[in-house]
Amino acid sequence: MSDSNQTTIIQLENVDKFFGDFQALKNISLSVKKGEKIVVCGPSGSGKSTLIRCINRLEEHNNGKIVVNGHELTSDVADIDAVRSEVGMVFQNFNLFPHLTIIKNLMLAPRKVRKVSKSEAHDTAMKYLERVKIPEQADKYPSQLSGGQQQRVAIARALCMNPEIMLFDEPTSALDPEMISEVLDVMTDLARDGMTMIVVTHEMGFARSVADNVIFMDEGEIVESNPPEEFFNNPKNERTKLFLSQILSH
Amino acid sequence: MSFDLALIANSIPKILLGIGLTFELLFLSLFLGTVLAISLLLMRISGRWYLSAPTMVYIYIFRGTPILVQIFIIYYGLPQLEFIRESFFWPILREPFGCAIIALTLNTGAYVSEIFRGGVLGVDRGLKEAGAALGLSVTHRFIYITSPIAIRLCLPAYSNDVISLMKSTALASTITLLDMMGIARTIVAETYAPYEIFLSVMVIYLIITWVIQRLFGWIERRMSRHVRSEA
Amino acid sequence: MDAIDGWWDDFFWGSLVVVELFVVALFLTVLFGLLGAAAKLSGNGLAKTIANAYTIVFRGTPEILVLLLFYFGSAIALTAIAQIFDPEIKFVDFPPFWAGSFAIALIIGSYATETFRGAFLGVDPGQVEAARALGLSNIKTFMYVRIPAMWRLALPPFGNHMLSLIKDTALVAIIGLEETLFVAEQAIGYTAKPFTMYILVGVIYLGFSTIITLSVMVLEKYANKHLEVAR
Repeated sequence: MSDSNQTTIIQLENVDKFFGDFQALKNISLSVKKGEKIVVCGPSGSGKSTLIRCINRLEEHNNGKIVVNGHELTSDVADIDAVRSEVGMVFQNFNLFPHLTIIKNLMLAPRKVRKVSKSEAHDTAMKYLERVKIPEQADKYPSQLSGGQQQRVAIARALCMNPEIMLFDEPTSALDPEMISEVLDVMTDLARDGMTMIVVTHEMGFARSVADNVIFMDEGEIVESNPPEEFFNNPKNERTKLFLSQILSH
Repeated sequence: MSFDLALIANSIPKILLGIGLTFELLFLSLFLGTVLAISLLLMRISGRWYLSAPTMVYIYIFRGTPILVQIFIIYYGLPQLEFIRESFFWPILREPFGCAIIALTLNTGAYVSEIFRGGVLGVDRGLKEAGAALGLSVTHRFIYITSPIAIRLCLPAYSNDVISLMKSTALASTITLLDMMGIARTIVAETYAPYEIFLSVMVIYLIITWVIQRLFGWIERRMSRHVRSEA
Repeated sequence: MDAIDGWWDDFFWGSLVVVELFVVALFLTVLFGLLGAAAKLSGNGLAKTIANAYTIVFRGTPEILVLLLFYFGSAIALTAIAQIFDPEIKFVDFPPFWAGSFAIALIIGSYATETFRGAFLGVDPGQVEAARALGLSNIKTFMYVRIPAMWRLALPPFGNHMLSLIKDTALVAIIGLEETLFVAEQAIGYTAKPFTMYILVGVIYLGFSTIITLSVMVLEKYANKHLEVAR
């Protein structure tokens, strides 16, 4: 399932992140190749959200080095916006802009950041709305859509910037159970088309079928990192085993 | 520009002579206004159009016009009308103090009734339903369930209105009353020292404001004792 | 009612002055409010202290006092400055229109500071993050995400500020501005009908506040049109 292209597109080396005295990330090193799908799981507070938020610099790491798509993440502001336009992010709470229609939500960034023309932005937006299977909602407002629909719109919105990498921060955690699969289907489609993805989630079925690598984090460290078969059938670490038994028992 | 400290030292006691009148205006209007506000509230939420409609008109008029104009209408305007001059209330309406109290009361009554209404609307419907399920009558529910909660909810807005009322008492100086503002203006007219005098009286008003805020903060904390989440 | 005959013109021009005063003061109010909110939200300790002092002083001082202080104070300051150039000058009058609009703007601006500050803090941080994650710069995020959210949050309380503003304009008559109350006083001098005249002034102001209330209602409908269509 992984691309034969071997370029490393994300590289973390010895990354630490502190919130005051609390250390959220401890000496994290991680390498992601283009086209790889990584699932990150772990108990809450383990640092998994912090990890992906450091990748698009919504959080700033304190030590170590992060290189994303050829850009090293530093405090140079000019670079940040450029990096972010190449990395798409989907949030747990969707974060759609409530005062804009769906289609305008999708068109905003391409028009303002990439200076794309209105008609081109519109066409791209409709293309992705069709991809996530809700083109008929284009002129509605977010408040009129269900949670599952809103999250699919959020995915389409991120895709309109044609990112190289897509980050997902617990994309289905805020959804009613019956809507989870419609979002996971879109994500699976995206994976099959070759997108590099890092997904923080508890959806282990998704991890088994889509991931190239599953990472277990606990207390700010990467405890185990293995392809799904190894990870689920043959966990090496005690903490991983404990976590899996808790999460898979129901 | 020199700052005449001696003048300030001299004038502050004179200004403070007016504080009695300022407080009289404040407390009397506040009390009467609150009583009026409760009556207006009950009329407003009564559900009977012949009670709530006039109330809404009243509130609309008194919140939509400047209080200065209301004061002038009552003090300067009413004497024009014969039936006023011959009425039972004329001794009160003839005096600037009476007129000021009436104007301030009518005005603050309108604002406070809306504040109370906001408090009442803010009470969780579930609590009222629970009261009904227990068999409490409408009146009992209003007195024992709605009111205590509503009062706590509207304390911040009410305290703001008290401060507004305090500031409005200064307008009594425009109809010859010698409250703190009235005295201050008299001294300024004599001495041509607006900075010293007006700044001094400003400090006094600020102190009063501060005291009112502290007082209401204390009341609010006491009332919220049971509500502040320990969880 | 016939008493007003012959005075309609004057009241019209007086009302126009009120409108001018309102517009100028509104513009300044927004300016002061934004500056104050920016100062309070900045990390700068000095800016915050000044802004806090500003809100405390202007929310706790009677409006009439602020007006008088500004009017007399500016006249004295202006006279002092003029005397530098020409020692013969005894007294320079400061136009009451500008003293009045500035003073009112400072007062309402102190309330607007809190409103704008609250609106800024009330913006959903998730949306700001989404905008940044899409690559929108700080400025673009501010323009396309923060500001649309902010003005919608600020609108209801700011509508109230505008009502206070129009009512405070009546006070500027105290420092001699020739607006409606001034016209009324002249009319009373000729017709001896204070009740009629002051009621007319009340009606004029009621008209203005109604216009403001209706405008705010229309704006609120527009602001919330993305919500009212919810399932």
